[in-house]
Amino acid sequence: MLLKGQAGWYKDAIIYQVHVRSFSDSNGDGIGDFQGLAQRLDYVQELGVSAIWVMPFCPSPLRDDGYDISDYRSVHPSYGTLEDFKAFLLGAHDRGIRVIIEMVANHTSDQHPWFLESRASRDNPKRDWYVWSDTDTGYRGTRIIFLDTEMSNWAWDPISKSYYWHRFFSHQPDLNYDNPAVREEMWNVMKFWLELGVDGFRLDAVPYLIEREGTSCENLPETHEVIRELRKKVDDQFPGAMLLAEANQWPADLRPYFGNADEFHMAFHFPLMPRMFMGLRLEDRKPITEILQQTPEIPASCQWCLFLRNHDELTLEMVTDIERDYMYDLYARDKAMRLNLGIRRRLAPLLDNDRRRIELMNGMLMSLPGTPIIYYGDEIGMGDNVYLGDRHGVRTPMQWSGGWNGGFSTADPESLYSPPILNPVYGYQAVNVLSQKRSEHSLLSWMKHIIQIRRSSPVFGSGSIEFLYPANHRVLAYVRQLGKDTVLVVNNLSSAAQAVELDLRRYKGNILIEMFGRNVFPRIGDLPYLLTMGPYQFYWFRLRRI
Amino acid sequence: MAEEMLLTDDFLRQLINVGEVDILVGLRTHNNADTIAPVIRAIQTGILQCFPRERVAIVNADGGSQDKTPELIVGASIDDVWSVSKVYALRTLHCISTRYATSPEPGTALRTILAAADLLHAKACVVFSPDSTTIGPDWLQRLVRPVYNDNFDLVSPIYRRQKFEGALIQNLLYPMTRAIYGYRVREPYASEFAISGRLASDFLNKESWNDESSRLGAEIHLTVAALTGTYRVCQSFLGPKAQDRGASDLVAAMRRTVGALFSSLDSDFPLWSTITGSQPVPTLGAQSEFVMEPARVNRKRLREMFATGVAQLEPVFTSILSESTLSELQRIASLEVSEFNYPADLWAKTVFEFAASYHKSVISRDHIVQALVPLYRGRTLTFLLENRDGSGEDIERNSESLCADFERLKPYLLEVWADRK
Repeated sequence: MLLKGQAGWYKDAIIYQVHVRSFSDSNGDGIGDFQGLAQRLDYVQELGVSAIWVMPFCPSPLRDDGYDISDYRSVHPSYGTLEDFKAFLLGAHDRGIRVIIEMVANHTSDQHPWFLESRASRDNPKRDWYVWSDTDTGYRGTRIIFLDTEMSNWAWDPISKSYYWHRFFSHQPDLNYDNPAVREEMWNVMKFWLELGVDGFRLDAVPYLIEREGTSCENLPETHEVIRELRKKVDDQFPGAMLLAEANQWPADLRPYFGNADEFHMAFHFPLMPRMFMGLRLEDRKPITEILQQTPEIPASCQWCLFLRNHDELTLEMVTDIERDYMYDLYARDKAMRLNLGIRRRLAPLLDNDRRRIELMNGMLMSLPGTPIIYYGDEIGMGDNVYLGDRHGVRTPMQWSGGWNGGFSTADPESLYSPPILNPVYGYQAVNVLSQKRSEHSLLSWMKHIIQIRRSSPVFGSGSIEFLYPANHRVLAYVRQLGKDTVLVVNNLSSAAQAVELDLRRYKGNILIEMFGRNVFPRIGDLPYLLTMGPYQFYWFRLRRI
Repeated sequence: MAEEMLLTDDFLRQLINVGEVDILVGLRTHNNADTIAPVIRAIQTGILQCFPRERVAIVNADGGSQDKTPELIVGASIDDVWSVSKVYALRTLHCISTRYATSPEPGTALRTILAAADLLHAKACVVFSPDSTTIGPDWLQRLVRPVYNDNFDLVSPIYRRQKFEGALIQNLLYPMTRAIYGYRVREPYASEFAISGRLASDFLNKESWNDESSRLGAEIHLTVAALTGTYRVCQSFLGPKAQDRGASDLVAAMRRTVGALFSSLDSDFPLWSTITGSQPVPTLGAQSEFVMEPARVNRKRLREMFATGVAQLEPVFTSILSESTLSELQRIASLEVSEFNYPADLWAKTVFEFAASYHKSVISRDHIVQALVPLYRGRTLTFLLENRDGSGEDIERNSESLCADFERLKPYLLEVWADRK
């Protein structure tokens, strides 16, 4: 059953992204599970987030961490049972926390029964559920996404002696969405989970659903038709459920995924994220304001999803070559940190474990227009292990305490699904939930505070944004406004103290109330409003006319 | 304290907004609207191409332009460069401007730029002439890289010149500076150069800014400061140089350059008096290049101006020159163009005697510099005649010969410096 609440709940949400496998192990087998996740829901509630996004948990050979599904209607046995999932879902809803799950719609595992049937013979009824060809020359204009591992988007199948299409790993054949039976079956899968009560889906890899010769096979009109069809069914049968698009595209290419409010409710703003990191190192607001200027308006009921880090590499697909080189040089000098066109690192190590920078980046995440997503562990400043291969280094066990396996599991350390972070700086003995809960000045306590403040006003989720352009380019300032609620946000991107003059004449007569300490700042007059800011400092001011 | 008086509050506010920079590009302007556009475009393109990651600011010190030169500089959009070159700027590029005076004072303009570089902690400060219409985007990196990457403190330019261009530099400034200070810097009075933050800061803090020669010929003083201090100096070949607009006013040019050079000798005597010979400085690219285009020069007019000057200024020369030098000049003044020759060693002696007289202020220092002008015209005539049919190598050989004479006769300077004959 869906959690009751207002339509558009996702606009004011704060989402916490977790991987079942990585979060908490209840049965001591070294792998996180749904019972463990359910046991940690009080922590999630205390953190203050309003939704959990659970990464793929369906049965899978786990050759791509669950994004290679072999059964869409069940739970991977390592993570528990469907009953365990239902119990988790109920526990989350009881705490007012919504649950978003993954819908890996573009492709299946090559071990999925559909594909096993499809490859069995050329006249199998499921043959047309995937994209087959006698040659590997079709769709030549299509880029390869996993450049480090794949040479082609076609893979040879020795059983049916033909090629199948795959946009990701070769063990992930793409489904054929030109086939109505596929579309119908994937809707049935979504319906299955919606009937259990999930509140929304993150649809994986949506730009790639349809292929057409002579195109890039991305963002095609036919793909939008598929999405509109799904959205209509969701709205008709499960009003309030939310669809979130994973489409790593430029803003202008993303805009169509909102349609006329008849496709996705939300979409990740991929190009913004690397530019936030870039702006911080450049100590210049230009990359951030530029990309947001290029971001088109979206329908009122729709929303951007913002994030600093997630389970994947910090993707640099949506940047220019010169920007990518800069990011590599500044954030990934060690080649082991690089993967595909990105950087496989967590937030704290990316920011040199600098608490001021971590706070500033979270401050921007929480105050720019969109729904913020916090990746598990980043709220306590967890580190990574770039030597674990692929993206496993940012998917290590959650660090709950300084005890056995960091409180993640009672299993022998050798049997954990992944070695925990052990180094003296980021290891679980130094960075863990238990110790940070005991300190009101810990990063965790600070995160709780900022989440609480963010949730205190709908202006952050639904308000308009107007950028101020003070002559000091190291300062990123904007005004968020919703009705009579006005918030001024001022961020110092520089490692040095700055003076900035803001033109606030249109708000003349208002006083500023700093939202963290609730202190009153002087009334706005005719002169430029002068602020002095410490290194990486930021302010959120509520404007009040008293 | 000095900067507080120099910089206006408005300019200071602009500097605060710019913040710390890696490279500061200085432009000293006065009614340069006709030529500034390609200059600013080349600078912006150079920044995008060669220093996309560095924090760069363009700082214009304007001497009271009436033609909206500052507005053209501040309004030049980097996006226009991007649309043509497709090179993308990672950062905000600041272009700021200040009016330091209502009439141009090159020294004050330079001082304003150096003060900005100092306040913004610039690692490198590069200055371009607003008249350099031949500037290319690569000029920026040719001047800045040696400072930014290789820790040089002064990068002086070398230009490809038309063979009779830059006669004042070739016949006086270069050989004199080289003989006095012992370093072979081809353009001691450069309108384009780059300096390190350290040199900018040190030079800014010198107390001689209020001297007239410092205000007029700050470039010479800067070169001398670099040569006489613990600084690393190099040269960088830039390419063809457009003729400076002010180059036709010879008296003014002599005041700015020769006056400043003579003035520097006063304070630096302990340093230069012990130097003998000269040594080359590291040079990136060509040592010198000449374009062999024929020049239209009125040689007869030059000879007449020389002869008239020698005759009319005899009472002045009596105070400045030795009897033998004056007598030799009078002999040369009677020669026709076809026989005319103002020999290199006599020219070196003449200059040294002027320098010593300037030091002793035997008459008004400004009059001394002005009195050198007709003699310089005579030397220029010899320079033209010597090199009329010469190749680039010939010009270079003659230049070296002149420099050798200046170096050889340096003891004579010391002699007249102590006790003018």
